[in-house]
Amino acid sequence: MPIVQLGEPGRWTNYHGTGFSRDATRFGLRCGDAQRGRDELAIAAAAVRDWLERAKTQGKRVRPLGAGWSPSNINICADGWLLHTRRFNRCFRIGQDDVRPGIDAGALMLVEAGALVDEVSDKLEEQGRSLWTSGAGNGQTFAGACATGTHGSMVARGGIQDHVRAVQIVTPQSTYWVEPETGVMTDDFIAATGAVPLRNDDVFAAAQLPVGSLGIVTAMVVDSVPKFLVRPIQNLRVIDRDALDWLATGDFRRFSAAYALDRDPAFVQMIVNPYKPFKRPAMLRFLYREDWRPDYPHASPGELGAGYDALSLLGRFLDDYPFARGALLQFAMKRGYASGPDVDDPPVYGSWGEGLDTHRPLADLFNASVTIDRADLPHVFELVCHAYARHGGSTVMTVRFMERAQGLLAPARFPHNAVIDFDGPRSARTAKAYQAVVDLLDAEGVAFTRHWAKSCWLDATRVAADYGEDLQRWLAARNRLIPDPADRALFRSEVLDGLGLTC
Amino acid sequence: MLWVGWGLALLALALLAGQYAAGQADMFVSIANPRPLDEDHMVITLTGWGFASKAAQPFLTGASDFGLSDVRVYATRRQMLTSIASFGFVRPVTVAWRAHAGVQPLGDA
Repeated sequence: MPIVQLGEPGRWTNYHGTGFSRDATRFGLRCGDAQRGRDELAIAAAAVRDWLERAKTQGKRVRPLGAGWSPSNINICADGWLLHTRRFNRCFRIGQDDVRPGIDAGALMLVEAGALVDEVSDKLEEQGRSLWTSGAGNGQTFAGACATGTHGSMVARGGIQDHVRAVQIVTPQSTYWVEPETGVMTDDFIAATGAVPLRNDDVFAAAQLPVGSLGIVTAMVVDSVPKFLVRPIQNLRVIDRDALDWLATGDFRRFSAAYALDRDPAFVQMIVNPYKPFKRPAMLRFLYREDWRPDYPHASPGELGAGYDALSLLGRFLDDYPFARGALLQFAMKRGYASGPDVDDPPVYGSWGEGLDTHRPLADLFNASVTIDRADLPHVFELVCHAYARHGGSTVMTVRFMERAQGLLAPARFPHNAVIDFDGPRSARTAKAYQAVVDLLDAEGVAFTRHWAKSCWLDATRVAADYGEDLQRWLAARNRLIPDPADRALFRSEVLDGLGLTC
Repeated sequence: MLWVGWGLALLALALLAGQYAAGQADMFVSIANPRPLDEDHMVITLTGWGFASKAAQPFLTGASDFGLSDVRVYATRRQMLTSIASFGFVRPVTVAWRAHAGVQPLGDA
């Protein structure tokens, strides 16, 4: 039996300490030692269905739980059953006989739902392959990161869920293998995993970003690209207002030439101090992609700038000393990030996976974001900085760039996106300042979306307005996967009900 | 001589304040490539300036079949105040850890 109960029912607190389940009964889904991945999935899927049946019989709600990172508490229900998937974390090569004609099996890998992004990255690199993008940290489970639309700042790529080619989902009534209509895996392979094939573009696009509401995801087929090297440049520069126009039009080469190397960057990120953003230096990070070669000078994760997510270690004194907030943030930016390698430093290199890191739990974290059309950046950037600073926001602002991401509920839904993150110490004043930003964007008539996993206080009305027809298609896919309302009720929670996804 | 007394009192106060602040520092050790499970913690109370120690649970971590990913040691404000008020006789500290999820070899689908 790959599902075991973990301890006695009790309080469970999430990774960032932003929420807890009052009286959770915790279970662990564990991987076994089956020789073939498909056999292991068949065993796990059957166990998960039994577990769902038991929960339904006992009138319990359920939540799948990966690394428990989401500060939005989207992965929490008050007194239900939590299924920890972290130890269901094996990865498997896929043979050419197991895929449909025209599919390159060498690019694909079968991943169990509990594998961390970092683990998936390592296993792909073992095979000379790589993810093409991922989030700032690599400590989420791959399934969890996809479920919330996690993203990085690879300027020509979308979200992490874009890697997904097939998903195995267990519902109380069935185990589905969800793929696009063109198909990926053979029917024999799918049958061996204990699933029935469901080849439908809408259901697949819903399952790429399921927000934990479409059943229990037990496995995914993940796509990859040939392994590559990145050369990082990380520096502090005062940004000119004109640079926002270059970013808004996607002229990242010009931005890079002005502040780093005269080359096309694959990754561009700008961390700014909202207090005087054009006077105080911004922390810039560029990654330049190069072909893989094994003899590159290896750098440590620190030298590669691993863990580039925003400042999180600044204390509550930012709240206590508002007059010094701008200077303190600037101090923290200098202290909190690896300085360099700058343009004139000896170059260092790493694979995509080496440049990312898991990180330790950070208590009292606030993080929220808005995703806007990149073209709106010059218009709103200074206004956002001003509104956030005026209301006492105590975090830096990080601007990342990405293309439209896959998945019906992907927050990056504009053709070209700029994501403004507000990550740092949690305080009521910072939350209020973020709300001021939201109000400002509404008042300016600027379309934007918010991250599912962050503390963005979405509600059902807003979700319906933001996602429109795509939400209706997602709900139709949900009803197809879980037709019985009594079964759908298993996956309800206060947060998901509030978003209109489970009721 | 009064000012010497005040000076010493201030010095003692500064020493205590320093101990109070530094005692809440977070000491963190991790393996190089962590694969952590949920964080768990226990409070260990050292008594008699370290001659004895006790915890509300056995000094054993759960779910640690694959060892630990990371460990951190810290004292909360209340724990530091307890320590200072008891002249260090009672010294509670919190030890938090995350067990390792295991690194599985790449298999065949």
